[in-house]
Formats: sequence, C-alpha cells, structure tokens
Amino acid sequence: MHISDGVLPLSVTIGGYAASAALTAWSARRTRTEEMPKLAVMTAAFFVASLISLPLGPTSVHLLIPGLTGALLGPSAFLSIGLGLLLQSLLFQFGGLTALGANALMMGLPAMACGWFFQRFKGTTRRRQTIVGSLAGAAGTVLSAIVLAVLLATGGEDFFGVAKLALAAHVPVIVIEGAVSGLTIGFLAKVKPALLQR
Amino acid sequence: MIDIVHITVPWWQVALLLMLGPAVLAGAVAGLRRLARARVTAGEAPDWSVPPLAAEGGDTLLHRWDVRCKIVTILAYSFMLAALSRPQPAVAAIGISLLVLVAARASAARVLIRLLAIAGFIGMFLVVMPFTVPERNGDTLIVFNQIPWLGFNLRGLGLAGTIAAKAVAITLLMEPLLATAPLPVTLHGLSRLGAPEMVGQMVLLSHRYLHVFRHEARRMADGMQVRGFRKRTDLVTLRAVANFLGMLFVRSFERTERVFDAMRARGYKGRFPEPAEPRLKPGDLLFAGLWLLAGLTLLVWDRMPS
Repeated sequence: MHISDGVLPLSVTIGGYAASAALTAWSARRTRTEEMPKLAVMTAAFFVASLISLPLGPTSVHLLIPGLTGALLGPSAFLSIGLGLLLQSLLFQFGGLTALGANALMMGLPAMACGWFFQRFKGTTRRRQTIVGSLAGAAGTVLSAIVLAVLLATGGEDFFGVAKLALAAHVPVIVIEGAVSGLTIGFLAKVKPALLQR
Repeated sequence: MIDIVHITVPWWQVALLLMLGPAVLAGAVAGLRRLARARVTAGEAPDWSVPPLAAEGGDTLLHRWDVRCKIVTILAYSFMLAALSRPQPAVAAIGISLLVLVAARASAARVLIRLLAIAGFIGMFLVVMPFTVPERNGDTLIVFNQIPWLGFNLRGLGLAGTIAAKAVAITLLMEPLLATAPLPVTLHGLSRLGAPEMVGQMVLLSHRYLHVFRHEARRMADGMQVRGFRKRTDLVTLRAVANFLGMLFVRSFERTERVFDAMRARGYKGRFPEPAEPRLKPGDLLFAGLWLLAGLTLLVWDRMPS
C-alpha cells in the first residue's frame, strides 16, 4: 500500500521529501560509485519481484518485500527503494508525485532497519538464516504499516479511522511476507550465498 | 451547545449506503479496466523486453515546452494542489488537468491505467472516512434508527471527496509530465536542474532492465504453469514463490555483472552522452508563469473565507 497524492498535509509531504533526500544521499555515499549501475539493475529485479501477487483467500496481495531488499542490499537499500518509486511513476503504478518522499520513508526506513537486523543476527547456518530472514521480512511489513499509519495520522483526528484500517489491512500480509522472505533467503543461502554477504 | 444536525433514516438504508459506494467504485473500476485493456490490446502484442523509451511523436505545446520548465512547473503546481483544502477548488483543478491532457494529446488508455492504480487507495478513504470522522459542531450526520452507534458524517464524505479530487487532478498530470518527451531527455532535464547525474543514469538502467526481468519472470512463470503449478493459499505456493524470487535474484545478479562488464568494455566512465542541448525560450517561461499563476489562483480561492 502506497500513499497517493492529496492525502498528507503539505508540511508532511515536504518534510518527507527533505528526510528521504538526506537518507538517499547518505545511502549513496555508502554505495561505491562503480557499484551504482549494478544497484540499478538489481533494483529492476526487486521491482519485478514486487509485481508478483499471491492469493490470500478470495483476494490477492502484492509483495512489498522491504525486509528482503534491506537484507540483500544493506545500506544501499534506501537508494534502491527511492529509485524503485521513481520507476513506479514511470510505469503507471501506484504512488503520487507529491507523496514520493513520504513513500520512500515508508519503505526505506523499514528496509534499513531489517537489513541491519539480518546482517547482525544471520549467523552462519542456513536454517538460522532462513529464520532470521523471515523475522526480518515480517518486521519490515510491520514497520512499514506503522510508518504508514503514523503518516496518515498526521492529517489530524479525521484521519485516525483510515490509519487504523490501513494498519489492520497489513496484518494478514505480515505472515506471507515473513514466510516468503525467509524461504527466499533460505533458497539463496543454498544456491548463491555470496548474495547474502554484505 | 452541540450543533450537530441528525437526519434519521431506516436501518436498511445503511446497508444500501454501504453497498452503494463500493458497488459504484467496483463498477467504475471494472469499466475503466475493460476500456484500458481494449485500448492497449488494440495494437499488436507489446514486446516487454523493449521499453518504450521514446515518447510517440507529438508536436503539441507540451512537447515543445522546455523540459526543465515542465518539471519545475508541474512539480510546484502539484504541491499547490496538494495544499488545497476545499472541494470546489479541487474539482476546478481536475478541470485544469483535463485541459492540459487535451492540450498534450495524452493517450487515454495510459491515463486510465494511472487512475486505476489509485482507485483502491482513494476508494478506501471514500468508504471509511464518512463513518470514522469525529463529530464536530456544524456537522450533518445521517443516523440510522436501531443502529445508533453508526453515523454517516457528510463532513467526512466531503473531506474524502476533496482528497480524491486532488489525487485525481495530480495523477492526470503525470502523463503530460512524463510522456511528452523521451525518457532520457526528461532525465537530463532533471540533472540539469541539479539532481545528481547518477540518479538519471540509474533510472535509465533500471527502466531498461526492468523490462528484461519482467520478460524473464514471465517466462519462468509460464514454465511453472506448464508443469502444473497453480497459486493457492498454502505453504507449497509460498515455497514455490520464494524459490521463484530467489532464482530471479540469482539470474538478475549474474546478469548485472555481465551488463556492467559490457558497459565498461564499451568505455563507460560514469556518464551517458547528452541527447540534446536544451535552450530556454521566453515563451517557455511565460507558459510556466501562467500555469503557476493558475495554481496560485486556486490556492487563494481555497483560502478565501466562504
């Protein structure tokens, strides 16, 4: 779920732009210049991954995978997510022009936190990496939902109802995100462990 | 003294009211989707591995407009729209956006797809806000007998309507902003405005490879389907999708290395050649000024005491 235009108060949209610009700059400094083309190509892969939908009972959900992005890209994840959001506006996907900064915070902050968490606790065995990966994936979704609800709630008391609903809508996704992130990391640990070293 | 107008209606109307909103929305979305699909598939099947880098030629005012002016003006104007707080200016803003769409000869199908993308999120506001907005003085509340705790607040509906109008007005401008110049030109305009050059290059690269990976993902999905895989809500599906994602990352990463080596072999030193030297004409600035003036007028109208 991304925020569209016209929802957030002006001060929050501008603040979101400023904060995400600063974080993107930090993230870019942590990425070596010659690695940036590689990061761009990896971003494309993550973008395609986020287009995959999974059935959930009668409806289907799209994966957001902030946790997985953070785990695989480390500090570069924020740059990658900002890039992904720009791509979304190019490709008729969701996401508003004025809400770009806020959306980058919503996806990027959890990705950074989960990336750190995964690298800190991943250990060496595949089993442990799978478990820590699924925790990171689930935590990424929880954090995204919380940031989203907080951003919506900045609109004032009138927006509390919508914020609560947005929070509740993420609950069923948490399990799926956690499971898919963990299993993906388990697969990578078996097939290409180099991708998990950061 | 609490000044809330209560209109009491029979309880069955709440059901009707609850059904009506989603029903209208679902109908609209279904109709739009069919329309958009009909427009898209009218041509030959799109080749996903080749991105539509160049905008289809067009020679309207917006195509000729200096790209830097276009980016700055539309961005600033969008922020002005986001600051609106009353429904009338927001609806007027949709009118202006439609005028711009006509002036830019934007593709109706692509505009429809963009609107479809925001329909769900905006629909949530339209359905939820009337019931959850706290009651204030001067509100009109439709309450239903036998269900005293559920009140349909017209102020909430107005608020959600304003948000929806603003979102639609800004979304309509995305097509004139992005599709009236080839992507490299737009990105160079962005870097000439002070954005780091790397950003533009990364967007170009991602955009290119996104189509390649989408093609690849589709091939992998086809293969899975041929082997009898169907998506369900169970662990088997989750495991299969996780392997799918993992494989996608592995393939992409290996490709990333090869792409980068190939770029360096061709002499890539951190920048792409610039498409064309943009030149600012007085007319460009005039148009930008007029547009921003329209935005300011909307803002002033919005802030005027009614």
